[in-house]
Amino acid sequence: MTPPRRKGVGPLILIAPAAVLLGVFLVLPYLNIVVMSFRMPGQGTPYGPGYTIGNYTKFFADGFYLFQVANTLWIGLLTTAICLVVGFPVAWQLARGAMRFRALAYGLVLSPLLVGIVIRSYGWTILLGNNGLVNRTLTGMGLIDHPLPLMYNALGIVIALVHVFLPFMILPIMAGIQGVDPSLESAARSLGASRFTAFRRIVLPLCTPGIQAGCILVFVLSLSAYVTPSLIGGLRVKTMAVTVVDALIDTFQWPWGSALALMLSVTGALCVVIFARLTRMKWKVARP
Amino acid sequence: MTEVSIERLTKTFGSARAVDGISIRIADGEFISLLGPSGCGKTTTLKMIAGFEEASEGAIRFDGKDVVNVPAEKRDIGMVFQNYALFPHMTVDQNLAFGLEMRKIAKPEMLSRIAKVLDMVQLGGYSDRYPNQLSGGQQQRVALARALVIEPKILLLDEPLANLDAKLREEMRVFIRDLQRRVGITTVYVTHDQAEAMTMSDRVVVMFGGRIAQIGAPSDIYERPENLEVAQFVGQVNLVKGTVTGVAEAGRCRVASVFGEIAVDSRANHAPGNSVTLSLRPEAIELKPAGQGGAQGKVTARYYSGSIIDYRIALDSGETLHVQTFPNIRIAEGDRVSVHAPADGFWLLGAAK
Repeated sequence: MTPPRRKGVGPLILIAPAAVLLGVFLVLPYLNIVVMSFRMPGQGTPYGPGYTIGNYTKFFADGFYLFQVANTLWIGLLTTAICLVVGFPVAWQLARGAMRFRALAYGLVLSPLLVGIVIRSYGWTILLGNNGLVNRTLTGMGLIDHPLPLMYNALGIVIALVHVFLPFMILPIMAGIQGVDPSLESAARSLGASRFTAFRRIVLPLCTPGIQAGCILVFVLSLSAYVTPSLIGGLRVKTMAVTVVDALIDTFQWPWGSALALMLSVTGALCVVIFARLTRMKWKVARP
Repeated sequence: MTEVSIERLTKTFGSARAVDGISIRIADGEFISLLGPSGCGKTTTLKMIAGFEEASEGAIRFDGKDVVNVPAEKRDIGMVFQNYALFPHMTVDQNLAFGLEMRKIAKPEMLSRIAKVLDMVQLGGYSDRYPNQLSGGQQQRVALARALVIEPKILLLDEPLANLDAKLREEMRVFIRDLQRRVGITTVYVTHDQAEAMTMSDRVVVMFGGRIAQIGAPSDIYERPENLEVAQFVGQVNLVKGTVTGVAEAGRCRVASVFGEIAVDSRANHAPGNSVTLSLRPEAIELKPAGQGGAQGKVTARYYSGSIIDYRIALDSGETLHVQTFPNIRIAEGDRVSVHAPADGFWLLGAAK
């Protein structure tokens, strides 16, 4: 029995606040950015009179910016992959583990979110620096002679981003696993499947939506992260987000910054679409 | 086919003994029900047979071979779950093929076996449906088919009818029983529904608190319950106080009660003078208009339910009786009645262990 379809303005009223919020604070600014990216650079002003596609030709002509986009994507990809590998077992334990420790584990998973992102990133600069805790410990133990380069490079950024975004990977996957009835695994095993086969053929496909959600969240958050890359990457490694902010605020070139921001958005969105296509479920869930 | 032998099987969770040293021998092709209230250990027992739960002590033998250390996937069992546990991302065909793929059965044989079993459960045209496109009863039959298509040694069913509505449940009882007879597979069926256990099983195992209270044919369990607990669990029962006046013959005592002095079947021996409790099933009692002998009483309540009528009778001696009769006699609430109970309607209960 499906409930009768509601007519009238009821549903519209329900979504109106969110729609207004999105329209005013997301769609309009985005349109503004699109227009801005075609403006002429200004002389002592944020932008000049007239329109041009110069900002885009500059972007594609200069390998430096293409490289920077690639680097940003690479950092996002690496962060997502590591979060997935590290986060999945945790999500599994949270979803299926013993009740006793669940509350504690849940708290631990959420703990990175309890501290502001600036403080967390500063914390990592203390840990990862040449004279930081990690390097001093390793040198002290005699495992290395020279400090490992953990700051001002992609590795440092990835380490810090994994820490910051791990909860965004764990929570959707946990929800996905919780949605899979444990008796399905038992059923698979009763039919002759090993634990691993039962996991691969039954559990994994069924919690794919959770994995997709976690990966997409972490990936887009990594692409757009600003504070962590700027603090840990410093002047040496810049992600697109950092470069965009430089252009907009430091050098005051709004058209150029807008073009860069859009290129980042477009490539990021493209990656998400490709990812979703590659991992799309081959089965349909028909409505009962 | 397969004989299953369970020997002193025990499962402890911490200090709690969920299953406490039970032994059952299940003959080849036999349909056995584990019957009991929730928490009696019946599902834990089934899970140990399936291999999902490790036995703390004891042995489970399939044809003499102990399988306690064999993992679930190597035990060659077919299992039907309470919620069916069909793979939601696979069609009916793919659900059925799963177990055959695990056994590396060649494609042509796979297809013919799936077709045969689907036919058996009367789901011929449903190969390409997804589970959520099927009704509860259909899902149930797919679950059965999936368990049977692998031709397992034994079939295990965990309250498979609990989620169906009453009418369908009765249909499925007969369906499963007939199917099991045709296939001839050794079957263990877990349920808390006594009617289900009675209609389907060759033998019923009644369990309370992790132990077996009684094993026997359905008629045995119903007519000759081991103790009060069993008698009350497998149906409505009246309890009549009496005093042993003598031993009639082996397995029979003479007992005096409101219904006079009668010879009653009993499993235990009782000495004359002992106070005992007799069970009397509601449908064994006959009601007649007042003044026709037997115990006298008054109808305090009458519940009409079509095929039978339920009466509550207050005997003049102070006892209350629950009586079921066919609706062909017309006795109204408030009427005075003569209550007759034939001697073979009584059973002398042993004390609960």
